[in-house]
Amino acid sequence: MNGHMGKILRVNLTSRQISTINTADYEEWYGGHGIGSAIAFDLIDDWTIDGFDPGNVVTFMTSPLSGTIAPSASGRTEVQGIGVQAYPIAWFTRSNFGGRFSGMLKYAGWDGVVVEGAADSPVWVDIRNDEVQIRDASGLWGMTTWEAQEEIWRQVGADNVKDWRQIGSGRDSGRTTQRPAVVAIGPAGENLSRTACLLHDAGAGGGQGGFGAVLGSKNLKAISVLGTGSVQIGDPSALLDARIWAKNNYAMDLDNLTDGWTQLDFSDPVSAGYFGQGPLAPKVGRPSGCLGCISACRQRYETGQGNESICVEAVFYIGYDIMRHGQPTAANNIAADLLNQYGINAYEARTMLPWLIGLNAMGVLGPGMEIDTDLPFDQLGSAEFADVYLRAIAFREGKLGDDLAEGGARCAERWGRLDEDLASGLLDYAYWGLPNHGYDPRAELEWGYGSILGDRDINEHGFNPLFWRPTGDIAAGIEPYYSAELVATIYAEKMIPYEGDPLMVDYSTENMYSDHWAKTVAWQRHYTRFWKQSILYCDWRWPNFYNPYAPDDRGITVEGEPKFLNAVTGGNLSFAEGMELGRKIWNLDNAIWTLQGRHRDMVHFPEYIYTVPYPAGMSGPSYYLPGRENGNWTYIDVAGRVMDKAKFDEWKTKFYTLEGWDTSTGWPTRSTLEGLGLNKVADKLEANGKLGAS
Amino acid sequence: MTEQTKEQSGVTRRDFLKVTSGVALGVVVGGVLYKLIPLGDGTVAYAASEGYLLVDAKKCQGCATCMLACSLAHEGVENLSLSRIQVLQNSFAGTPNDLSLVVCRQCVYPACAEACPTGALHVDESNGNVRTIDEDKCIGCLRCVEACINETSGVAWNPEEIHSQKCDLCADTPFWNEQGGAGGKQACIEVCPVSAILFTSEIPSEDIGYEVNLRGEAWASLGLPTD
Repeated sequence: MNGHMGKILRVNLTSRQISTINTADYEEWYGGHGIGSAIAFDLIDDWTIDGFDPGNVVTFMTSPLSGTIAPSASGRTEVQGIGVQAYPIAWFTRSNFGGRFSGMLKYAGWDGVVVEGAADSPVWVDIRNDEVQIRDASGLWGMTTWEAQEEIWRQVGADNVKDWRQIGSGRDSGRTTQRPAVVAIGPAGENLSRTACLLHDAGAGGGQGGFGAVLGSKNLKAISVLGTGSVQIGDPSALLDARIWAKNNYAMDLDNLTDGWTQLDFSDPVSAGYFGQGPLAPKVGRPSGCLGCISACRQRYETGQGNESICVEAVFYIGYDIMRHGQPTAANNIAADLLNQYGINAYEARTMLPWLIGLNAMGVLGPGMEIDTDLPFDQLGSAEFADVYLRAIAFREGKLGDDLAEGGARCAERWGRLDEDLASGLLDYAYWGLPNHGYDPRAELEWGYGSILGDRDINEHGFNPLFWRPTGDIAAGIEPYYSAELVATIYAEKMIPYEGDPLMVDYSTENMYSDHWAKTVAWQRHYTRFWKQSILYCDWRWPNFYNPYAPDDRGITVEGEPKFLNAVTGGNLSFAEGMELGRKIWNLDNAIWTLQGRHRDMVHFPEYIYTVPYPAGMSGPSYYLPGRENGNWTYIDVAGRVMDKAKFDEWKTKFYTLEGWDTSTGWPTRSTLEGLGLNKVADKLEANGKLGAS
Repeated sequence: MTEQTKEQSGVTRRDFLKVTSGVALGVVVGGVLYKLIPLGDGTVAYAASEGYLLVDAKKCQGCATCMLACSLAHEGVENLSLSRIQVLQNSFAGTPNDLSLVVCRQCVYPACAEACPTGALHVDESNGNVRTIDEDKCIGCLRCVEACINETSGVAWNPEEIHSQKCDLCADTPFWNEQGGAGGKQACIEVCPVSAILFTSEIPSEDIGYEVNLRGEAWASLGLPTD
């Protein structure tokens, strides 16, 4: 397939053997998550093992679009393996990071990296085109993610002629002006904190799942890649034309910027960052984008503080900074940098902190209290506090570090507080012992449903424009930019193969447990499994349903996704065919979770989701979403809502029915699996007594 | 420019340009730019290019889309090492030193052409005097790569096809359906998400003239600096 380099690197850290997997053997899965799940299914036999077990396999996968000019689809890398973060079962899960690693891997001649086993001492993997070495990392161990990358840069390709680094010797061995692309773990991963992330460049994080600790358990400090080769393109002029078409019709137009709130998709302009601005805050210098991005979402700063951080690492501490100093200061940027350098998942750091502060206010946690701590709460909001708190998690320092390093759910369990704090919602961990992303299950239905029916906080923003734009407009006292009826119509047009049903985005309480919502969730699971997690279209730009630049308001989605893929591969896969592949991948994943011990009875939200009215807070006191009231489309404020436990349980049956899974267990059935060509998956489930009854 | 000089060489006043002392002069005779004009003091002149790329490195978002477009349009593959425009970055550095944007300056006195022993690197009169490489004549000595006055060489070595290559303002882009060259479009400009590259037919002055500020009110309205 054009777009594939033809080989996947396989590294066995126990034997220190390096071998190759033929990409062609997995070509039907295209790339990313599809190939990752398929390889993991082939390589892992006992799915009840712990994520720290050397038998765990971690995959880093590119797609045919990686390293190409496909817009906001070139720079992302999909990571998979048995996680260590989710609770009570740490599911086979995924993470994903942006930047330039996936492109560089392709230029080096590789479609992915598969890591198995565990080294008996710290190592890093050095990939330079087809030369691969497992190197001693004793000099890197203990370094932050930034220090380790800079040290590797010094060691790899230092020889250069006028800034062109040479790989190997000889005129024709390949040269590049680019630095090696490195993904590394920090001290948090080295110390097996379940909150540990992967980090690439300054701020491209693979945060969820605890993959930093999984790599730490394998003694793997970093993977570095430098490549100088070419990705073959099926139809080069069509690809270049498509990029220009996308830019001219759907992307930020500086001469004609649209007003209103961000949509978190293709039409967004570059932004000046999530950090606060002001005289005491570091000054933003430029937008900073991943390889091939249509509109950069990151930034770099004059002081370098906060470089390439956005989203939660940039905002998890900002409230405290402002509270202490009256305005944003460098403390917030420093906190983000420390988080990235120590290598910690921003959601854990963000969501444990108010829980600890709450326990402190209750008189439960503090110096000399029932949970004794030396955390200096009086310095909350300072860079010093951030450092003490983050070091506790990363280095297991202080009286509480060893507990905090386990992540909020297991920490609460150690303190005997898990049930109580999940009943009240003081510990805002909304699914599988994982932090609430913020798009709360009681409000943003597809987010909660998709997360609890899957393995993790989905972190898929495709439906959030339905919330952000109207909530911002209404708060500003203006008529929403798009009417609820129009957005529902447009979404319905594009949700192939379930097109034509606008009730799929009717977020009203009357509709939230309906068959329509079963279709919505199935649509999103399948779309993301293929188009985003396998073909690697970036979540911050894709899907794009409605678009203020387009004359008919319709966004680039449905036409755009296959256009770039087919220009690269030379094939003609349709959007719907991609959706069907997504369904196949999603079924394989559910089969794996079934082998890990999943049953529908455990698929439930924590108690507070069912009993505590949603207090909103993401964007003020209201949370508007489209829905029907008395048959008329309008924007409904769903703040204050709860999820009804019994109705949710009934709704699960609707979802399982739609997916063709055994409704009594949630397990896939033979007929569904065989219909997808997954016969051997059905066989394995049956051999383990886990095949769903048809 | 004096009447006396005009009488001696027949040059017109208008297009005379003195770049620096001891370096070549761009000279127009009868409306046609001459390729090589010996000036008696040992210096030679190359006909000035009819097109130049100016860049706003502070606006650049570091996405390398220009690089991806360049190798795609010229070579039909995606390969940053084959791109004739280069973006170098350091994720950990403060702006603006975190990024450098390297474009060929289409130098009025092209040191690369001067260094080339075979004439492979030459001024192409049929294409707006763009400085470009005749791949068949390139012997792979890489003197052009070393001679480039940019700190980062603007000349790339192609180890797959065994020849040097450099920016030709998209004069020869077999994989792009647009007319390129000094009179046409450039792929990097067409794709740049933030419009950080500008084409001009006026010869930029020395070093600073190739850097421009392309950030205006819209940029400022996004909260980004315009200085």
